[in-house]
Amino acid sequence: MPQSASHSRLYRIESRNGAAALVLGGDWGGASRLPTSQRLVAELVAARGDSEAPITIEGHDLESAHPRVAALVYAVSQGLRSREIAVAYTGLPASVSSLVALARPPAADAASGSRAHWLTRLGAAGRNRMEAFTRAAEMVGNAFVATPRLSVGKAQARWVDFMALLRETGASSLPVVTVVNLLIGAVLGFVGAVQLAAFGAGLYLADLVGIAVAREMAAIMTAFIMAGRIGATFAAHLATMEANEEIDALRMIGVSPFEFLVLPRLTALTLMMPLLFLYAAALGIGGGMIVADLVLDTSPASFLGRLQDAVAARHFVIGFVKAVCFGILIALASCYLGMRAGRNAAEVGRAATRTVVVSIIGIIVIDAIFALCTNALGV
Amino acid sequence: MAVLDRTRTPDAGVVVRDLTLAYGSTVVQHELSFHVRPASIFVIMGVSGCGKSTLLRHMIDLEQAAQGDITFDGQRLWTENVAERRALQRRIGVLFQSTALWSSMTVGENVGLPLQLHTRLSAAEIRDQVAFKLALVGLAGQESRMPSELSGGMQKRAGLARAIALDPDYLFLDEPSAGLDPITSQRLDSLIMNLRDALQLSVIAVTHELPSIFTIADDSIYLDNESRRAIAHGDPRALAANAEHARVRAFLNRQSVDASTRAEGDGPESPARSEVL
Repeated sequence: MPQSASHSRLYRIESRNGAAALVLGGDWGGASRLPTSQRLVAELVAARGDSEAPITIEGHDLESAHPRVAALVYAVSQGLRSREIAVAYTGLPASVSSLVALARPPAADAASGSRAHWLTRLGAAGRNRMEAFTRAAEMVGNAFVATPRLSVGKAQARWVDFMALLRETGASSLPVVTVVNLLIGAVLGFVGAVQLAAFGAGLYLADLVGIAVAREMAAIMTAFIMAGRIGATFAAHLATMEANEEIDALRMIGVSPFEFLVLPRLTALTLMMPLLFLYAAALGIGGGMIVADLVLDTSPASFLGRLQDAVAARHFVIGFVKAVCFGILIALASCYLGMRAGRNAAEVGRAATRTVVVSIIGIIVIDAIFALCTNALGV
Repeated sequence: MAVLDRTRTPDAGVVVRDLTLAYGSTVVQHELSFHVRPASIFVIMGVSGCGKSTLLRHMIDLEQAAQGDITFDGQRLWTENVAERRALQRRIGVLFQSTALWSSMTVGENVGLPLQLHTRLSAAEIRDQVAFKLALVGLAGQESRMPSELSGGMQKRAGLARAIALDPDYLFLDEPSAGLDPITSQRLDSLIMNLRDALQLSVIAVTHELPSIFTIADDSIYLDNESRRAIAHGDPRALAANAEHARVRAFLNRQSVDASTRAEGDGPESPARSEVL
């Protein structure tokens, strides 16, 4: 006598003379929620009790052979087999049984997701860090060795690429460098004008804007822009090349990826950063001068005159040297992180982001070191 | 999701009518017309650059042609009704040439994402469905691996599992066996045939791999890259012997076109199913 264990048009579990059966029926296409296979397995095992007989899955009452049936039958069968319970099918539509027959259960050794001991993982992480450090040092070393080769025209780089890089890093960056530095100069001008005017020292605005821009702001703001604009581009480009095996192809024709890819980028950025710095400093001071004229009625002529007296050339030299260092940092960081990226799309994005983050942190750290050194030297 | 035993109507399957493929003013193929019967494997063949992949991209609605029409079981692909169009697109599964597995997701997430987005199944049932689809392609238990950890053949099969995740009625394969060794390629071929039988799929495959073509094709079309037209249509095994055009015979027999022209006139041309469209 069938004893109904649960009532549903779609399925019911019966136990007949100790043998459990899963009886499927109805139209599965419309049902939005079905019982989970785990629940069915648990119910079947409970209905089976201590019996040794195989569990039957019946499909005589199915109105359609919806693909969901096949997935459920497979899942229930797998669940039962993993508990070493035999399964038999009766009355399943041909398409369902052929699908279930086609599905191959996992190999016995497939599940090997065991994690290593935490000490092992810590050691491996440490070794990875050490290796990354070695590689970074190697790249800096390469830069020192290869730069003289470039200057005597012996490096394996293409002029066309180099020129395109010069344009990309230099001329193409001008609009954004212009906007940012002009506004930074103007903002410094406003802040300074209000404070200095309170003491009747409005004329000294030229000192404030001139020194701040020449020594700090022009170089730092330009470096931030280049990190976002050029560093990210370099990293994404090289990471994509790595993913497409283009870098391996270069190695195979005997070209050093460092000389072909890194050196032109390094040189272009190192050459362009100081030039952009000079341009940015001029614009920043220009921004301050406009504000001085508008807010304090200081004429451009007297502003520039004061600037000449107040801002010594050494302030520009310090900014200039910083700009060179920032350029080297951004170029090496972007190329290093780009070439070390993994071979997939997500890694390309990650390389670009990490380049920007590393560059910005590096820029601030280098700036702080400069501040310490110039302070100690009294310049 | 579709019900497996579909009723057969005269428009059943995929019908392409007078489709002209062009990029700007450059015509890739003129006036293509053919019919893919339900639950059969249809191969689009031709030499590199003949427009096979372009045709496939049009048939899966990634591009729209200015001229011609495609219907799936009588339903027009390029209707103005966006909801209908999306609904039809969900009945189409695609295995891309590069497999296009999303590299930041595990294999299980790759197969499960279409189910999450397009069905209201519970998380547990999605898990069951993913396990089942992976078992169908012989990748049972590989849910948590990343695509980059799989071999080329396994990636193809994972791509296939994703393509059949929503139980499509039509399966498009772009160069399924490209880059695979003969044994893996043969396994993939038999898997495709098994899936066609079990899921009653209409399979449209773009390929120029001859062993694959002869194994899986129920019907085929040859796109010519000189006349920019389909110059042969029919069972490739018959076409290899009897195709009217020398270029088709050369392609299917892996000969130079000259050798195939010389062999012309060796016996009467069989009408088989060789025809010029």
